[in-house]
Amino acid sequence: MGIFSELATDISSLLSRYGSAYLSGIRNTLVMALAATAIGCVIGFFCGVLNTIPHSKTDSALKRVVLAVVRAVIRVYVEVFRGTPMVLQAVFIYYGVPYVTGGSVKFTNVWVAALLVVSINTGAYMAESVRGGIISIDPGQTEGAKAIGMTHFQTMVNVIIPQALRNIMPQIGNNLIINIKDTSVMFIISFTEFFAAHRAAAGATYKYFPSATIEMAGYLTMTLAASFILRWIERRMDGSDNYELVNDDQLVMTAGTYNYPDKSTPFDERHKPSRDEVIQEVKIGKNRGER
Amino acid sequence: MADTILEIRHLSKSFGSHEVLRDIDFTVSKGDVTAIIGASGSGKSTLLRCVNLLETPTSGEILFHGKDVTGRGVNAPEYRSHVGMVFQSFNLFNNMTVLKNCMVGQMKVLKRSRDEAHEAAMTYLAKVGMAPYINAKPRQLSGGQKQRVAIARALAMGPEVLLFDEPTSALDPEMVGEVLTVMQTLASEGMTMLVVTHEMAFARDVSNHVVYMNQGVICEQGAPADVLQNPQRQETKDFLARFRNN
Repeated sequence: MGIFSELATDISSLLSRYGSAYLSGIRNTLVMALAATAIGCVIGFFCGVLNTIPHSKTDSALKRVVLAVVRAVIRVYVEVFRGTPMVLQAVFIYYGVPYVTGGSVKFTNVWVAALLVVSINTGAYMAESVRGGIISIDPGQTEGAKAIGMTHFQTMVNVIIPQALRNIMPQIGNNLIINIKDTSVMFIISFTEFFAAHRAAAGATYKYFPSATIEMAGYLTMTLAASFILRWIERRMDGSDNYELVNDDQLVMTAGTYNYPDKSTPFDERHKPSRDEVIQEVKIGKNRGER
Repeated sequence: MADTILEIRHLSKSFGSHEVLRDIDFTVSKGDVTAIIGASGSGKSTLLRCVNLLETPTSGEILFHGKDVTGRGVNAPEYRSHVGMVFQSFNLFNNMTVLKNCMVGQMKVLKRSRDEAHEAAMTYLAKVGMAPYINAKPRQLSGGQKQRVAIARALAMGPEVLLFDEPTSALDPEMVGEVLTVMQTLASEGMTMLVVTHEMAFARDVSNHVVYMNQGVICEQGAPADVLQNPQRQETKDFLARFRNN
């Protein structure tokens, strides 16, 4: 027990001295992770959509050449930024840009540099996820859209991307969580996020383990909150399992009378009401009437 | 021949070295209900998909009001907005409600206002008996209901001709009737239709022109009474005999 009370004392003394540093670190980490994931998604969708533009031998030579170049550029981008460590990319870009431009362009704000690196890194991963999301949509959806006269662009915006977005939500969540953790490597360009607070506090007090404990709890809280919120968004996107019949005759009351049968498996995650229903079923039989 | 809508001339389609359609010729006039029948793999669906340019014909012409639509530089989406299509697998947009399915094409392609699109969508959904279901998503509907929504979606675009690609083949037997009834109503109202089907009763009772396809060519075509009751070619007789035996 002595160990634990010692740890508690150390943690509270760290928090009283460096609490605001930890807190601003958490804030910087979250802002950076959210912003970089959002920008990365935009880059990813942009690349994924460009990558899946259909082409056939009957297209004009110009269109085929342009598409081939676009594909090649995206391929190089994805392979380079997926295939090198982000910590190295940070150094490469932060010091590389002033070096190559002879000092005329440099990062005056470390936020800009960090955001740039994390965004394009996320974008490289998202580009492939989005491509996968788009090609996984049933070709019938595209044909249905084409058959009513939609252009490729209209089909993408109205039909394919909304469905692809839903399908790659777990991937976006993955990237957000990875970004919350991996922004910690941005200390290399002296970006002060949550992990930098640990380096400062532990460096000054030599309380490495108590500080690391704070960090573990902090990161875990952030990632758990992120996955919880993402699950909630996914459920919102799926919408209700029920729908209301609309009757022309307003006197006939049908609203809410049709309940679409639940086709899910017992292994699915459920909303609390339906979970309670199942628990009640197991405990006391199907419903009150049958007892 | 002012009322000719579609003219198919010497249409051929190959997938690699496999020739699926050979020298197809036929005409669709306003108000015609043409039934395309034939065994599986005879090229019926490919023919229909060529008419809507979902497949690019290898050679031949498709004249829509006298203008060839197969050439380069033809605005295919614009042409398709005049030619409705109903698929075997419905192909409703899974991310939209029934109402939105019927409105999105009108608003994005025909640039109608939201109110106009809503009104047209409700008119046609009521026609196919799906008006109460406007808030449902496709995954919540039965096959027959989905197909009726798909028909309403195609009708809402105000097409000059409606193509049906085996509209009842993916349905449970008890749902075939509700879709065929809708199609029969449309036919009686003068809608021009081109229907690939295995429903011989529909071909006999509703269509006024029957095309029998065999191995990528039109084997026999004419009035339903001639082709179905008094076939001239041996292949047609064999095909119809198989149906009677079932």
